[in-house]
Amino acid sequence: MQMVPDVLFSIMGFPVTNTVVATLITDIVIVALVVVVGKSIAIRPGNIQNAVEMVVDYFSEMTESTAGKNAGFIYPWVASFFLFIVISNLLAQFPGFETIRFYSTTFCGEGVPLLKAATSDLNLTLAIAVMSVVITHYLSVKHMGIKAYFTKFITLKMFPIFLFVGILELVNELTKFISFAFRLFGNIFAGEKVVMAMYDLCPIGLPLPFIGLEIMVAIIQAVVFSILTMVFMHIMTDKSH
Amino acid sequence: MEIVQKFGLETKLFLFQVVNFLFIAFVLKFFLYTPLKKIFDERKHKIAQSLQDAESAKLALANAKEEQIKILANARNSADRLTTSVKISIEEAQREASLKAKQCSQQIIQEAKDQAAVEFKNINKQIGKMSVDVSGKIISKVLSDLFTDDEKQKLMSRALEKIDEKIAN
Repeated sequence: MQMVPDVLFSIMGFPVTNTVVATLITDIVIVALVVVVGKSIAIRPGNIQNAVEMVVDYFSEMTESTAGKNAGFIYPWVASFFLFIVISNLLAQFPGFETIRFYSTTFCGEGVPLLKAATSDLNLTLAIAVMSVVITHYLSVKHMGIKAYFTKFITLKMFPIFLFVGILELVNELTKFISFAFRLFGNIFAGEKVVMAMYDLCPIGLPLPFIGLEIMVAIIQAVVFSILTMVFMHIMTDKSH
Repeated sequence: MEIVQKFGLETKLFLFQVVNFLFIAFVLKFFLYTPLKKIFDERKHKIAQSLQDAESAKLALANAKEEQIKILANARNSADRLTTSVKISIEEAQREASLKAKQCSQQIIQEAKDQAAVEFKNINKQIGKMSVDVSGKIISKVLSDLFTDDEKQKLMSRALEKIDEKIAN
């Protein structure tokens, strides 16, 4: 089973893969959404503004109920993770993904898919997982101070129990991005393969329930990633934890 | 290294995705969340203002209702007072009118009585004159056969004198 995205062509040594193209399409959709909402923003919202407001307000309210006063700087990151992941996941369910082939002299025979789910590329999932962890630690240092931040991992209180707990916490922090990255990658990659297998078995009708399931997985995975990020950010920026 | 190759991990792609996400997060933060936050705050402010307005409108309505009740009570009282005074004035006017009518009728009756008395006197005078004329004619008719012209003349003048005296009395 091929887990590596296909390189379509290279620009000055940079490999443009089908997942990179999908990522760029996701960017275009997000920027278009921002432009459309930004242009017609009003107190009485239109349909698109209403939908975007619903997402932003949902995360804002949820972060506020979890993180309290820290919600102001946590929710923009949480909502950004959600919007980016959910849009790239849902775009992959559109016709054309995995089915439109790209032919080049480099590939022999049937060519490679022009578009592939952006989140089925470990480079992307790992990148956003690392970003999630790094931003969490950055916010922790910024809002608690460097001393309180290090006390979370290294402390001489009740020696050596809390020191051991601190080391465990450190390991936990290091494994966070692995769990983040592989959970998202695994779910989307597996879903994509299942839908393709159903296409191969019977292209008419059979893939439909699996596409429905994939849409659900796409939303659930985005919510899981965002909520976990929010919880970790709250834990790391709150002195009482 | 084998795992890295199997999953297609590549530094350039990884860094591209990091930069790409930071760009998207920046765009969303400054061009979507900030204006939306402003709109949320504005909306919250407007809702609070509207609720306050509604509360003051409710209060004003309650005051207006109270005022209305007061005004209605006052109007009822003045209407009652007015009705009573109108009734009283109507009764007075009726009494005055009937009194005037009575006086008027009495005056008319008195005038009629006076008129009747004057008429009666005039008629009496006329009857007297007529009876004198008739008796004169009868006497002259009767006496013409019994007395001479001189005697007739004397008698006539004496009778006329006596009648005149009677009439004068």
